[in-house]
Amino acid sequence: MKASKWELKDVIMMAILGVVFAAVYLAVFQGGLALSTALTPAGLSAFGFEIIYGVWFMASTLAAYIIRKPGVALITEILAAAVELLMGNSGSLTVVLTGLIQGAGAELAFAIFRYKKWNLLSMSLAGILSALFIFCYELYYLNYISLAPSLLIAQLAVRFISAVVFSGIICKLAGDGLAKTGVVKSYAIGAKADVGKVYDEEDA
Amino acid sequence: MRTLNPAVKFVTLLAVTLILAGKHDPILNFAVFLLSMAAILSAQVKPRTLGLLLLPILLAAAGMFFTGYRFHAGGSMPVRAEILNIGSSALWNGLTQASRVLAYAGAGYLFALTTDRVRMICSFQRQFHLPQVFAYGLLAAWGIFPQMTREYRRTRAAFRARGIRVFPISPALLKPLLVKSVRWSEALAIAMESKGFSGQAKRTDFAPIRVQPRDWLFLLLTVGCTAAAAVLL
Repeated sequence: MKASKWELKDVIMMAILGVVFAAVYLAVFQGGLALSTALTPAGLSAFGFEIIYGVWFMASTLAAYIIRKPGVALITEILAAAVELLMGNSGSLTVVLTGLIQGAGAELAFAIFRYKKWNLLSMSLAGILSALFIFCYELYYLNYISLAPSLLIAQLAVRFISAVVFSGIICKLAGDGLAKTGVVKSYAIGAKADVGKVYDEEDA
Repeated sequence: MRTLNPAVKFVTLLAVTLILAGKHDPILNFAVFLLSMAAILSAQVKPRTLGLLLLPILLAAAGMFFTGYRFHAGGSMPVRAEILNIGSSALWNGLTQASRVLAYAGAGYLFALTTDRVRMICSFQRQFHLPQVFAYGLLAAWGIFPQMTREYRRTRAAFRARGIRVFPISPALLKPLLVKSVRWSEALAIAMESKGFSGQAKRTDFAPIRVQPRDWLFLLLTVGCTAAAAVLL
């Protein structure tokens, strides 16, 4: 992958999507925290975050859906992670590592379709593979392996659903919505989109 | 702490975190957490700021404690417990899970609270050979963040003025933000490219960030001590 292939336009777009979704994640994180605190006495605190886990994968799937180039999903996830590092992430420094792993999952999904299919199916698969990849890593890193297997399977199931809802369905809707407004004309997604009225800076 | 090379500091703390990930010892985890806190406070971070940041972490740690306590794998685990060095008791398991959250967060905050953002990206660009185009992209996105929060507040205020109650993360608020973000990213890219920030040309730095002997010392001492403690404990 040569760096020169990347235009500044693409990179800024990916990084800004990373910022937007990092902010969304932080907002949702508070909700997840409240939920998991409520679940603490039952020992099910981890589920609070599983439900919103899919928000993590949104930046990469949405960026890939808009830009539609090989490598976009991976790099967006890394950039998003780097942005979070800038914001002062509470998780830890390994956020860049997790970004790499999740991005690789999403990238794999799009590569399976040879970067030709950009629909709900490929985006959902991207979310699911990201979830699976990161779960394998957490088995080790968060010591999940010392938890009961039945709990782990339940966690994974909730995470898959979350991934499909957020990075599949919601990202698809968001991408299509953006295409309809005409702001993404210069990207692959906008080239084919059926644009109604193109909004101008003054109308916005 | 503040004057250390960001790239070296990053590698060091990452290595510490990964060593801890391979070790399941609450005492070591708590020690790392306390040392990070001490280092953060000695770098003149306000205790109040730190306290507010720690609050969610403590809640998460408590959550992990009970998860580890109630659902410890014990005999049902596919691998033998001795291999993984996991204590058999549920209490120990809970403590390990909880202390791990604290230790990771400690190292993370130590980096985040004592590192200058722009310096970090410059350092990554130099020491990790991060391509210029990504460094520019990151800095641009980071620079636009305040504008995004302003835009978000404005949209929210607009809804309130019309007497419509919206949920803080409702699509009605996020869609304008997303559209604006795309617009900004394009305008920004054109502006930057027209001023020569295309990422292709080689350029020099006003204040190059180098790795100094004390950075190496910090790296070796910190990673060495953690590794030694991990082996000995």
